[in-house]
Amino acid sequence: MRRRYLQALSVIILVAVVFLLLPRFYSNQSFLFNLMLYLGLAEGVNIIYGFTGYLPFGYVGFFGAGAYGSAIAITFWHISPFVCVILGGMAAVATGIVLIPLLRLSGAYFAIANLAASQALYLIVANPTMEKITQGPYGIDLSSVYNADAGYYTMLAVLVFAMVVVAYIRNSDFGLSLLAIKEDRVTASLAGVNVVRARSIAWMLSAFVAGLCGGAFGWFTAVFYPSTVFSLDVSVFTIVFALFGGVGTLAGPLLGALLLYSMYNFIGISTPQYFQLFYGFLIIGLVLFLPDGVASILQKGKVYVP
Amino acid sequence: MSHSGKELLKIKGLVKKFGGFRALNGIGMDVGEGCIVGLAGPNGSGKTTLINVISGVYRPDGGSIEFCGRSVYKLPSHKIVRRGINRTFQVPRPLSSLTVRETVKLAAVYGTCEGNKEETIRQALEIVELEGVKDVVSAGLTFAQQKMLGLATALATKPKLLLIDEIAAGLSHQELFKISQMLLRIRNTGITMIVVEHHLGFIDALTSDVVVMNAGGNLFRGSIQEAAQNDEVVEVFLGR
Ligand SMILES: Nc1ncnc2c1ncn2[C@@H]1O[C@H](COP(=O)(O)OP(=O)(O)OP(=O)(O)O)[C@@H](O)[C@H]1O
Ligand SMILES: [Mg+2]
Repeated sequence: MRRRYLQALSVIILVAVVFLLLPRFYSNQSFLFNLMLYLGLAEGVNIIYGFTGYLPFGYVGFFGAGAYGSAIAITFWHISPFVCVILGGMAAVATGIVLIPLLRLSGAYFAIANLAASQALYLIVANPTMEKITQGPYGIDLSSVYNADAGYYTMLAVLVFAMVVVAYIRNSDFGLSLLAIKEDRVTASLAGVNVVRARSIAWMLSAFVAGLCGGAFGWFTAVFYPSTVFSLDVSVFTIVFALFGGVGTLAGPLLGALLLYSMYNFIGISTPQYFQLFYGFLIIGLVLFLPDGVASILQKGKVYVP
Repeated sequence: MSHSGKELLKIKGLVKKFGGFRALNGIGMDVGEGCIVGLAGPNGSGKTTLINVISGVYRPDGGSIEFCGRSVYKLPSHKIVRRGINRTFQVPRPLSSLTVRETVKLAAVYGTCEGNKEETIRQALEIVELEGVKDVVSAGLTFAQQKMLGLATALATKPKLLLIDEIAAGLSHQELFKISQMLLRIRNTGITMIVVEHHLGFIDALTSDVVVMNAGGNLFRGSIQEAAQNDEVVEVFLGR
């Protein structure tokens, strides 16, 4: 058990060091930021999907709640943006608490309801009548506190936090209880697990990670619109990244997000039409041949993936 | 029977409805501490439903369930388990991706606050003789092994009362004998049991105290020999 924690720790340290040092050698900070963002979001989806089996198609709702929660706190309270990012995380948790009843749904019903909830939140935030609070459709402008470096390192801290949470879940009794719930709710509760509580905690942790990511994104970007931070692309990208790498592990979603987001950046932005095509095939291939992700190739060869 | 006089479980007038159908229709029974009570009845008489209701898997629609002098009526399963009741399933429900050890560990960690966890896990695996496959994932076990894993998981929560649902069904004669010996050993560690079984022969090897239920209610309580001479019991079993 201790060895597994050490393996997870090495992964976390490796990722942290890479993103700490890379800006010195590679000047595209915005690419590095977005990469970290998707690594963090993929781990966030991993918490809820990888360990409890709920597929959160509305995951972007938490991201948007975090971006707006943080931005509103910065705008109205003029406190440290770093604190506001944490408040953004809490705004996402609050959203998650409101949505806890959705966890009673299963399978596709949960995914659809979650998707609808995220779009409802989008419509509320983007509504012109909300202008006094959210600026409605006109978007948020945080240029007065703009600080790309601070935003970058905040995102790094958020990523490290997300990895620590996943490493804990992967190796703890709590994580075991989540996997048990995913397998069979009744058997888990007869082992003494408080099913409702455990899955709600996982849900809120997952929301918190997305909210922190949203807050950091808002700070780093400084100007954004409801359509940016509530874009369904965020949900879809994140879920595909996490699945491609392999959920239920720490390293899988990192690997998935790293490979696919880099690919998206190098092919997708210059020739988006090819990327879409490639992406479509990739998803079909994933579902057909590798439903448990890249990590499962190693696991089938009896290699332990942290 | 071999009562120490103290009643561990008291059930009165229990009702469970599925739509308009009453799967449990007023059944009641008392179980003394340290006893094994056999529970028999024809198919569909409500034996499994009774176990599901007592263990909190189904919510009852009426009646009362008292355990150790306190009500466990309508409590969620995990609380009932921590009070000291557990059960096995007629058809095993393994946590497929977890290993045997992980499954039992989960129960030892979450199902009880008593005792040393490692010791609890070791004992549970030893009683059901699954030490040899403790690192195998549950999906890879045989049907009989999955039944044993269900029993080990229940034992690891340190129950005072164990509800056993047709553990002998689908097993060979040899396995049957082994299991009745195993259940007697478990009873001797101080665990009270309700054992649901179709085959009266299996119950006979364990206890002379049998409850026969029919259509969700009580039909008979007494020894198997008396049951065999009871006209009503004979009638429901032979379906006349
Ligand atoms: N979840 C359910 N929904 C609807 N009806 C149910 C449900 N569970 C049980 N029943 C019905 O309740 C009645 C009692 O079923 P139960 O499984 O308790 O019988 P049993 O005595 O265990 O039978 P067996 O000996 O076949 O295991 C049956 O008529 C069954 O169809
Ligand atoms: Mg039954």
